[in-house]
Amino acid sequence: MSWYITGSGAVASVGRGVDELFRSLCAGTTGLHPLRGFDPGPYRAKSAYEIDDRPAPGVDVPHRATDILVAAIREAAADAGIDDLTDIPILVGTGLRELRSLELWWRDGVPFSADDLHFGTALRAELGAEVTYTFSNACAASLYALAMGTDLMALDAADTVIVAGVDVLTESMHGLLERVHAVPPDRVRPFDRNRTGVLMGDGAAAIVVRREATGRVRGLLRGVSANCDAYHVTAPDPQGIATAMRAAHELAGVKPEDVDLVMLHGTGTLLNDEVEATAMGEVYGEHVNGPLMTAIKSMTGHTSGASGLMGLVVGLEALAAGIVPPTVGLTEPVDEAARFRFVRGAAEQADLAVAQLNAFGFGGINAVAIVEAVR
Amino acid sequence: MRRVVVTGVGVTLPRASSPQSLLTAVAHTAEPVNPETRIGKKGLRYKDRATQLGYCAADATLRDAGLLREKELTVADRTVGVVASSNLGNVDTVVEALDTIAAESTMGTSPMGLPNASSNVIATSIAIRFGLRGPNLMVCNGATSGLDAIHWATTMIAAGRAPRMLVVGVEPDNEPVRKLLGGKRAIDGAVGVLLEDADAAAERGAVVRATIGRYARTGAIDRTLAKLADGDTPALWHAPEGESTALPGVPRYDLAKTWGVTSGAHGVLQCAAAIGWFEGGGTGPVYALAGAAEATAGLVLRP
Repeated sequence: MSWYITGSGAVASVGRGVDELFRSLCAGTTGLHPLRGFDPGPYRAKSAYEIDDRPAPGVDVPHRATDILVAAIREAAADAGIDDLTDIPILVGTGLRELRSLELWWRDGVPFSADDLHFGTALRAELGAEVTYTFSNACAASLYALAMGTDLMALDAADTVIVAGVDVLTESMHGLLERVHAVPPDRVRPFDRNRTGVLMGDGAAAIVVRREATGRVRGLLRGVSANCDAYHVTAPDPQGIATAMRAAHELAGVKPEDVDLVMLHGTGTLLNDEVEATAMGEVYGEHVNGPLMTAIKSMTGHTSGASGLMGLVVGLEALAAGIVPPTVGLTEPVDEAARFRFVRGAAEQADLAVAQLNAFGFGGINAVAIVEAVR
Repeated sequence: MRRVVVTGVGVTLPRASSPQSLLTAVAHTAEPVNPETRIGKKGLRYKDRATQLGYCAADATLRDAGLLREKELTVADRTVGVVASSNLGNVDTVVEALDTIAAESTMGTSPMGLPNASSNVIATSIAIRFGLRGPNLMVCNGATSGLDAIHWATTMIAAGRAPRMLVVGVEPDNEPVRKLLGGKRAIDGAVGVLLEDADAAAERGAVVRATIGRYARTGAIDRTLAKLADGDTPALWHAPEGESTALPGVPRYDLAKTWGVTSGAHGVLQCAAAIGWFEGGGTGPVYALAGAAEATAGLVLRP
């Protein structure tokens, strides 16, 4: 079974809107910048990939996650020609919900209530959407939400769903992430043997998925797998990840040799990239040097719950344009990824039909999606 | 479409530990649940209160469903997934980390705190503790979250992702949560139900405690009720948190009035209470409603 992706939207540090984002990524632009909204004093990691939307440098405001989520959904809905969002299920995947606003409430006393932790209240107020779900599934959240969306359509419970992902930096996550690094990360360099770790980025992405083709179709969604390692709270397990990839291939009816592009999860985290590479090697075997591969977190930072869908939105653009953005900062790949055809240095042109998107999160939750170009 | 049934239930509240006691117990002051006495000390260190409570309810539910004997699963690990629902779960971790960083820089925080900063720590920790390798979802969807969690578990079973899903609703009581709730206390407990494909349940001879019926989610309670209606009238209904006069003449329970702020656990608590009512001889459909004016979820449960 395939579904039709008829609209997309995205906001990240390097671009507002899918077109600007994709152009920036193809040009190798990164959003790395000294911390924009926090006092950098208590932190060793002084940079991140934040969207520059504060009223003044160092002045943080609540509801930024909601704002970029609404922007991405609006763009996707408009792209798909949808005006009325009242009854369309909107599934939002997020790692950190509105926890940044909670932090500002706790410390600075900005108005905030428990009903603001999830996005439904705001989506009703701003978009008139009545059927909304906030899934907090760490860095696999938006692809997990996509899996749930396809289930709704498979069961005839919906003809159209909007799936979105969003996250902005929180001080608690930025700080606790930094804490586990011996050397504070200075930038995200996925799969490079000299990488220092992960830094977060702000981002939101949204797509409209339909059971029937209506209007312009941006791509076909062939299948989304979702599972759990049940192994460790932060460390990933190559077996669980490999299982998720194989399940996605089976759902989509593709083999490794059919895949032309892999948008890797590639967080630059010290342990994770090797694990992802090992799982890729196990699943792809002799075909691991077949598909082009890239990791856009090298430019967007780790957009957490948004990142899987961000990869999907960018992957669809890459399929359509025949151009793949580079993995910036990758000069010496780790041994486990030695045979990978990374796009490095500059964007690469290629004729592409099928893309795999990876997203893995804390707690060992894995989601993998397969999309196909529409000619 | 596959029929989905409930084959296990677990209640971990200060004054209730069975589905029937949800309907009869009077919840005045009681000792908080001590997870150590319920499931032992092992594995509780570094876990936040919500996760510890979730462990207790998960343990009770899996045992009640016959899926856990001693420490072993009785079915294949990939056949059991987890959906957890909580809105307030890691509020304490987030604000405590914020305070520690401000006072002592990041080096004052514990690296063991990192997993708890991610709101899905409850769902994934349960999966790790019990070795559940099916889909793993954390629903943080406000007042409707518990019923939504049951809906998504049902959806995943019906779509064939896994034949069994453990659903756990949990809300902790602690100082930051109390501040966020304007001084009110959350239930400081957890409730679990085990949803199962009816054929899979029959195959292993499981006892069916309830059958999952229609679910609806709209922007208003009357429209949700209209979508739930299926030719028969409810024999009983469970009201949302807060005031509600939706079904005049139909016997009702207000679980939140008895147990405290239920929030993300509300829908799962309602489901467990419906099972308690069926156990006590109740027949006919039970309606569970959750949410406020802007978002209302409803679920029908049958014996």
